[in-house]
Amino acid sequence: MDSPTGTGIGPSGFGPWSGPARTVAVKWLDDLDMRHQYHHGVWKSARYALIGSVVAALLTTICYRLHVDFASVIPLYLLLVVLQSLTGDFGSSAIVAVLSTALLDLFFTEPLFSFRMDHPLNGLALAAFVFTSLVITRLVIRVREEAKSAKLQKERLNRLYQLAQQLLGLDPDAPLGEDFLEPFRRLFGIRAVSIFEADSAELHLVGDTRQDLGSKTRDSYIRGLDLDDHDSQVSVRRLQTGGQMKGAIGFEGLQDPAETAGALTALTAALLERKIAFQTASAAAAAAQTEIYRSAMLDALAHEFKTPLATILAGVGGLREAGSLTAEQEGMADAVENEAARLGSLTSRLLRTARLDNENIRPRMELVDITSMVARLARQYSARSSDRAIFLTEGQEPVQALADPELVRLMVGQLIDNACKYSQPGSVVTIAIEHQGDFVAIRVSNNGSSIPRNEQRRIFERFYRGEDARRSTSGSGLGLYVARKIALAHGGALDLETGEQGDRVTFCLKLPTTKDELRHVLTA
Amino acid sequence: MSSRPSSVLVVDDESSLRKALRTSLTASGFDVEEARSGEEALGTVQQHQFDLVLLDVSMPGMSGIDACRRIRGISPQAGIVMVTVRDHEDDKVRALEAGADDYVTKPFKLRELTARLRAVLRRIRAPETAEPVFLRAGNLEMDLRDRILRRNGEEVHLSPKEFDLLAFMMKNAGAPLTHAKLLQSVWGVEYGNELEYLRSYVRMLRKKIENDSSSPEYILTEPWLGYRFRNPSDPDSLPVATED
Repeated sequence: MDSPTGTGIGPSGFGPWSGPARTVAVKWLDDLDMRHQYHHGVWKSARYALIGSVVAALLTTICYRLHVDFASVIPLYLLLVVLQSLTGDFGSSAIVAVLSTALLDLFFTEPLFSFRMDHPLNGLALAAFVFTSLVITRLVIRVREEAKSAKLQKERLNRLYQLAQQLLGLDPDAPLGEDFLEPFRRLFGIRAVSIFEADSAELHLVGDTRQDLGSKTRDSYIRGLDLDDHDSQVSVRRLQTGGQMKGAIGFEGLQDPAETAGALTALTAALLERKIAFQTASAAAAAAQTEIYRSAMLDALAHEFKTPLATILAGVGGLREAGSLTAEQEGMADAVENEAARLGSLTSRLLRTARLDNENIRPRMELVDITSMVARLARQYSARSSDRAIFLTEGQEPVQALADPELVRLMVGQLIDNACKYSQPGSVVTIAIEHQGDFVAIRVSNNGSSIPRNEQRRIFERFYRGEDARRSTSGSGLGLYVARKIALAHGGALDLETGEQGDRVTFCLKLPTTKDELRHVLTA
Repeated sequence: MSSRPSSVLVVDDESSLRKALRTSLTASGFDVEEARSGEEALGTVQQHQFDLVLLDVSMPGMSGIDACRRIRGISPQAGIVMVTVRDHEDDKVRALEAGADDYVTKPFKLRELTARLRAVLRRIRAPETAEPVFLRAGNLEMDLRDRILRRNGEEVHLSPKEFDLLAFMMKNAGAPLTHAKLLQSVWGVEYGNELEYLRSYVRMLRKKIENDSSSPEYILTEPWLGYRFRNPSDPDSLPVATED
């Protein structure tokens, strides 16, 4: 036995007892089982035949002693055959019918005690008797079988109903493990049941398998084929939900697998589907809840960061308003005010980026003069980053694009900020604007740093931060991810351009420019 | 400005900010009172008249927006400036719809705040005279009777709608004007969502009145909210905003 009753099996392996010894033992047990069933059937028939024969002999003795004539005794034998058919099987009933015919011939037709017959009419009557008794036997047996089958069907339906009730009572989110399989085994008297779930690759088994049911269930899923092995009484069915194979369920020792396995499989598939639907709904609910927390957290952060900054700015402003500051003190007040204001802008930008990270970006398009917007940003960053030289090269003509100015500002600001942040002091940051067909390309590059080849593909991933970046500067790992998201929402693109030189990093942002006819309408 | 110092009620749940604002606004020539919550502010406004109320949007208990609506009911003549912490335009639109005259976003420089407060004061104190004939701002002069705009003394041709839009903005110089308000005031009450209309008219106006239409000095964009007309001759007009 590869597993004791009620033990879940992981995807990696089965119980400790395996190999040839196990196979031989299993075969021996099965043969024993089948021989036992066969002998049991034969003995049962013989017993019924014997009882029927004794009753026939008794009837013959009584009727012979009482000198009951041939015509009167026939219905009594017929009654015996009918009673025999109602209790025994067809074999024993047929034996009793033939024996009754022989007894009638021997004891009630002339000449007595001989199988010969003086009157051909008696022969005809005996022939009619044997035919009638066999037909009755056959009919009665069939009726009994049908009644038995109907009873079985009713029982099966009842068990299915009970099974469905018990399974539906389980936690819909729980894995389809021991608790799930046990009702199958208990209600249908199955030796072992196993289930293989494709999503988790987990195999569970309850019961006492002799046929390595777990492996067969998993193999059936892998091969994409159902299995019906009558000799070993193993049936495996694949589980399909929504047109997709989601696993397999195996039964060992299931009575009438042709009748039952389909229904059990359909029920399991429905419950598996319910579990998947429940998990999907739970995930969606969890995501919605996370989003509520996240939004509340961002609001709280905005409040917690900006209120102290507002206090600093109000305080510095008050100092200046109060007068009597020396020129030097005035300069310091200016520095405090400017840095606090800058910290405020930075906080706003970070929080806006964090918000955009999880929102569907819907740009509010308007005609934007990209050239002058980028020039303004370059001037601002140039004033701020005194130890980086920021140069802007632009084409002959000012370039306009249909875009959301706030989002474009955020995106280009992020690129310039990155170029300053990740380059060495004294580096040169260049911004180039170029009209390329239907797009405007804004290239922001810096010298004196590089992005390792193995990190290049990952830098646009959410929360990804390169090795050097993690060591050298602080950051959220959201900036480039959100910037690319904004570019894509505009129908544009944001890519890293790798050139020949190893010490230069260039990001290229492309935004669609307006088509001439559209621009005409917009500027009319 | 009148000789009497203007009274301001500062409503914020942060005591350090209230204190800093009280000191700084007093130094800037205002007479300052404080309230810690919307509820307290309502009580104070019922007892005293204030020229201005500086009201934080996010406070525990009664929200700033609700407080704004109720203060407006109690004291219709007071100028209300909301302090928002989020850059979200929804807060600003809701504040304006609740009756606020203007808003500032935390963190703000004191000069920016006092300029906003004074501009609001001037607007609410402007005498309700008959329709003016001339509107002036910087090098622009608008003759409302003859419907003529002059820039540096030279006549500039405007379409009727461009004229109406600019006239409305100049009359409300310094105040934030939402897209919906502009559309409804100039085009009609049934308008409100036709942003492209408004944007294309603003674009044309900027071409006609600005020195550099890509760096406007008169018609400033309030991101995602609307526009604000800036009068460069106004002593309280702010420098053109530097965005980030």
